[in-house]
Amino acid sequence: MSTIALPKVEPLDPIRPKRRGLSPWQVWGVALLAPYILVFAVFVVYPVAYGFWLARDPQSYVRLFDDPVFAGAVVNTLVFLIIGINVKMLVALFLSGFFVNTRPWIKWLSILFILPWAVPSIPTILSVRFMLNPEWGLVNQVIFRLTAADGPNWLNDRWLALTMAILVHVWKSLPFWTMILIAGRLTIPPELYEAASVDGASKWQKFRFVTWPSLATLYLTSTILSMIWTLGDFNSVYLLTGGGPADLTHVLATLGIRYLRLDQVDLAMATIVVAMPFVLPLMYFMMKRLSK
Amino acid sequence: MSSVSFHHVEKSFGATKVIHGISFDIADGEFMVLVGPSGCGKSTLLRMLAGLEDITSGTIAIDGRVVNDVDSKDRDIAMVFQSYALYPHMSVRENMGFRLRLRRADRREIDTRVARAAQILKLEPYLDRFPRELSGGQRQRVAMGRAIVRDPKVFLFDEPLSNLDAKLRVQMRSEIKALHQRLKTTTVYVTHDQIEAMTMADRIVVMHDGRVEQIGRPLDLYDRPNNLFVAQFIGSPAMNVVSGTVRRHNGSAWLEADGVRWPMGEVPGAEGQPVVFGVRPEHLDLARTDGDHVAGDVIVVEPTGAETELLVQVGASQVTLVTSGRPRVRPGERIALAVEPGMGHVFDRESGQRLVD
Ligand SMILES: Nc1ncnc2c1ncn2[C@@H]1O[C@H](COP(=O)(O)OP(=O)(O)O)[C@@H](O)[C@H]1O
Ligand SMILES: [Mg+2]
Repeated sequence: MSTIALPKVEPLDPIRPKRRGLSPWQVWGVALLAPYILVFAVFVVYPVAYGFWLARDPQSYVRLFDDPVFAGAVVNTLVFLIIGINVKMLVALFLSGFFVNTRPWIKWLSILFILPWAVPSIPTILSVRFMLNPEWGLVNQVIFRLTAADGPNWLNDRWLALTMAILVHVWKSLPFWTMILIAGRLTIPPELYEAASVDGASKWQKFRFVTWPSLATLYLTSTILSMIWTLGDFNSVYLLTGGGPADLTHVLATLGIRYLRLDQVDLAMATIVVAMPFVLPLMYFMMKRLSK
Repeated sequence: MSSVSFHHVEKSFGATKVIHGISFDIADGEFMVLVGPSGCGKSTLLRMLAGLEDITSGTIAIDGRVVNDVDSKDRDIAMVFQSYALYPHMSVRENMGFRLRLRRADRREIDTRVARAAQILKLEPYLDRFPRELSGGQRQRVAMGRAIVRDPKVFLFDEPLSNLDAKLRVQMRSEIKALHQRLKTTTVYVTHDQIEAMTMADRIVVMHDGRVEQIGRPLDLYDRPNNLFVAQFIGSPAMNVVSGTVRRHNGSAWLEADGVRWPMGEVPGAEGQPVVFGVRPEHLDLARTDGDHVAGDVIVVEPTGAETELLVQVGASQVTLVTSGRPRVRPGERIALAVEPGMGHVFDRESGQRLVD
């Protein structure tokens, strides 16, 4: 038998001596943070501050609130956020359950499905716009072939056009959120479903008691994040309807652009400032969730 | 409580067949252990019984009723998973009562049954905790509690102890055994650990590559393994095997292997037959009297206190010997080995099957 000699271990100082100046660790920390802080200051703090400065005149807000287009845009934005996003997330939740199945053909389908997200917005949304053209658009031509009746004038009615814009938005960003929720579902151990089967759970009960409790946090976070992003999404509306007909389908994001084009920079900035009450509570929720 | 029977059960995943026609019956109240090396198909067989895998062909019956097309939830079974599969967002109490809740059982009945199971498994202090707040052993107990809360027809266990440390494993082994003696529910228990199988089972099914090698009571498998696979799988340290040829002369028989002459005693096998001779380490001993011995060189000496294990080079083979006490031998020393009469096993070299007398 031989004994193993244990290496002598110096006991750690229970109380660290106080040092003056920065430890090497802290110096490195500052050095590594500095470029980030610089970039943040130049590209985030400065433009935001400048924006607020441009929108500093209270008269801008009076004019903004007096503009009937503004009230319509607020309503549209709320419809977009509350109905559009929730419908989208519900569909994404459903589809993620469908795609997470491991059957091979579903993998191929999912590649097809991710395409709208992967292709650039401008050509695709414009092509949707062409498809919806009441005279020569593909959609109405098909409707005419099948029913011999004229299809609706898709983009010429406020609610129809807004619905189309929401659908374009859903079509475009659904794949992304579906993928996020698929990733969330993949973290649920399959034995939980097996245990639930043995325990006698139906499909719905498995969703209710296994899937949803594990996915709820991710789902709510995604919904809020999607709302924040959607507030800044002007493609879906701008490229499809251009805010028309008669400026009836503007959302806050496109309204800002409209004022810019009318050379009313202060109103454009005021619009963005007005969007803050929408964003800040959402941001607050996000921060709380992420810091949990 | 119920009987279970497998009848010509086969299973393929795509083109790969992993279960090749298995038939056996489990009696009402029996504790049956499926044992075999990893990948031999134990879990697949158990999962087919649980209704978690389709049965490719053949039938599985519970209580005489074929369940091939019966949903898992209608088979009235309870299963303990290797990972425990506790619902992470439910407390221990909710985990245990989940099945009853799905069955819309009366609230008070759920409480009584959960309380009773918690008492049996000493889980009362933890009922309001969540799985993540429990130790491995406690989670294991909750998984069992979930199973016993509702008297199922059959308990299924899939390697329930393999995530526990060695000491806890031994303790839970006896707890599960005690639980079975108390509840007498028919149990199918899957493990790759032959010690678990030996200590817990009423009967053992030894599986290998999707086939049954032997079914029997633990000591029967130990004393009379049907083939080389079972002989070497059951028992620890494993049975020594030496390949050679049977020689018979003047009423005595021995095995000739690489110039070494192993006395075999009264065993089957014809003169000149190529065989594998097997002898368990505890049936080899240091020769204490004159007689028919085998000479060997000690390689390793491992005292465990009550016993000593020796690794000995005999001819071209290395054999293990377990002897009681603490013999004074050193590595490198030449010793004489005695085979306990009547304790040798002889297998056909080609088929690996036990030669019957
Ligand atoms: N879902 C599956 N798809 C394909 N092959 C599988 C699947 N499940 C198990 N197998 C294969 O079946 C064989 C038996 O597996 P399993 O029953 O898990 O073995 P054990 O539980 O005895 O370790 C293994 O070769 C394994 O790779
Ligand atoms: Mg297994």
